[in-house]
Amino acid sequence: MSQGTYRQPVTRSDPGCIIVLFDRSDSMKATWSGTGASMAVGAALVLNNILLDLCITATTEVNAPVRHYFDIGVFGYGACLTNPGEGVESAFGGSLAGRGLVPLPELADHPLTVREEPSVDQMSVSAKIPIWVEPVHGYRTPMCEAIAVAGAHVYDWATAHPNSFPPIVINITDGMVTDSPYDGATLADWVARLTAIRTSDGPALFFNIFLSPTRSPEVIFPATPSGLPVPGPDLFGMSSELPGPMVANARADGIDVQPGARGLAFNVGRSTLLRVLQIGTRVPDRPY
Amino acid sequence: MVIFYAPKLGNEEYEWEDGAAGWCGDPATGRNPRFAVADGATEGFGSARWAQQLVAGWLGFDGPDGPDGPDRHDRYGERAAAPPTLHPDELRRWFALAQARWSADSQVPGASDLARLKLARVGSFATLLACELSGLAGPAPRWDGVALGDTVLFQVRGEHLVTQFPMLAAEDFGVNPDGVSTVPDRLAASVGRLARHGGRLEVGDRLYLATDAFAQWMVAAGRRDPRALWPALAALDHPGSFRALLAERRGRGEMANDDVTLLRVDLVPARATHLVVCL
Repeated sequence: MSQGTYRQPVTRSDPGCIIVLFDRSDSMKATWSGTGASMAVGAALVLNNILLDLCITATTEVNAPVRHYFDIGVFGYGACLTNPGEGVESAFGGSLAGRGLVPLPELADHPLTVREEPSVDQMSVSAKIPIWVEPVHGYRTPMCEAIAVAGAHVYDWATAHPNSFPPIVINITDGMVTDSPYDGATLADWVARLTAIRTSDGPALFFNIFLSPTRSPEVIFPATPSGLPVPGPDLFGMSSELPGPMVANARADGIDVQPGARGLAFNVGRSTLLRVLQIGTRVPDRPY
Repeated sequence: MVIFYAPKLGNEEYEWEDGAAGWCGDPATGRNPRFAVADGATEGFGSARWAQQLVAGWLGFDGPDGPDGPDRHDRYGERAAAPPTLHPDELRRWFALAQARWSADSQVPGASDLARLKLARVGSFATLLACELSGLAGPAPRWDGVALGDTVLFQVRGEHLVTQFPMLAAEDFGVNPDGVSTVPDRLAASVGRLARHGGRLEVGDRLYLATDAFAQWMVAAGRRDPRALWPALAALDHPGSFRALLAERRGRGEMANDDVTLLRVDLVPARATHLVVCL
């Protein structure tokens, strides 16, 4: 499915692109098992941690600017704040509100705020971290429209960066799509359009993370859809095969990844969400 | 001895994150020649400083006048420690001292919040290849070294490779390379993983110490055509010719676009009479 080499190191001359699609439907208000907070709050916390990780990775020396290794987009789908109602919008706030893809140095300089937040792994431990994305929930799950919005940005970005590591689009959701077909195309059609966009290093990658409010067996990077409850098989079919560097990341993180594994994590809890995002956003930063 | 280097294509000269140092010894004081090359991790923080601190420390080059200069105090005002021997206990002590100096770096108080987070969470690490030559005036000269990661020493005699240390195949380079960390908790493990090797030397031998991208290319090129590789490297006599070689090999896709360092030591029967500085 992937048909790419996925070996291009991410550098300032050939930066990468990461887009997160963030489900902000009404069901995200459910309490995430074991955390005492909603899935919307927990997912926003993890997302802010990942954005901070990316900024830290690009920080290399005292008094040196954050390096432009990535262009980052985070789009919420479900409840919108800018035009209240159901839809898709940039999840960034403050001076980045309404922006699509934001260069990493600019992102690092413009968090909404910096505040004390609990650790993703240990609720009793907290630390000050920058906040770029706030929790929001409401309305249904317009996933097709979200992929269409991401696809437009991915197309423009890939055209401008033909030799970069392919764009990575990560969809974090807890529910079923409610807007398929959208603009005459089904969810599978929109995903096919998205993953048909490519750089010289391979097609764009589309990964899915399905959150569950209850304690359920977690399935991480399956190589087969068998045994997955609904909507697992559909999400499996839409998810890109994990490319080599990410398979290496996952194995280094202790996850048993079989050949043909897909970029899908199912029924994940909060700490697993962070691990999966770390694996899915860590791309070659030095030549192999 | 000569050191060639180049940053990644597209980067500025000052962004070269390797370190290389050599000192040809002093028979009057009995101090042996020492050489070291290190490759600072791109994903680390202050990796160039860490790599350069390691190679300078291996030479005992803490003061501005070198290992035998009158100023044997480092820039923190401490008496500079003698460079370590190859004994594991001494290496452990030396790494610990290097980590302490690193964490006390005077630049850190001026760092941004992100930089402080990076320093605390990640720190830095660097591959290291360090060696010492001994017995050069006697009947059995030799080199002995330690290595952590994929920086490599090649011992060449004429057109033949005598030894490669560590013995890595071309496909072994660059994948999660090991290194010396700035994080104290990782010190014991780092020392435990240090590889050791050594060998006899003869007049006319050449030692090459190279960081991963160049070493990987040397391994592959040496396998293809050793009679072309070793004379070509021995003939390198100017940074311009080294950069031309890099441009050609990178252009052909034979060499990864990474920081590159090559330190060459020629064993000759007389002491060097000239110091050449290429500006």
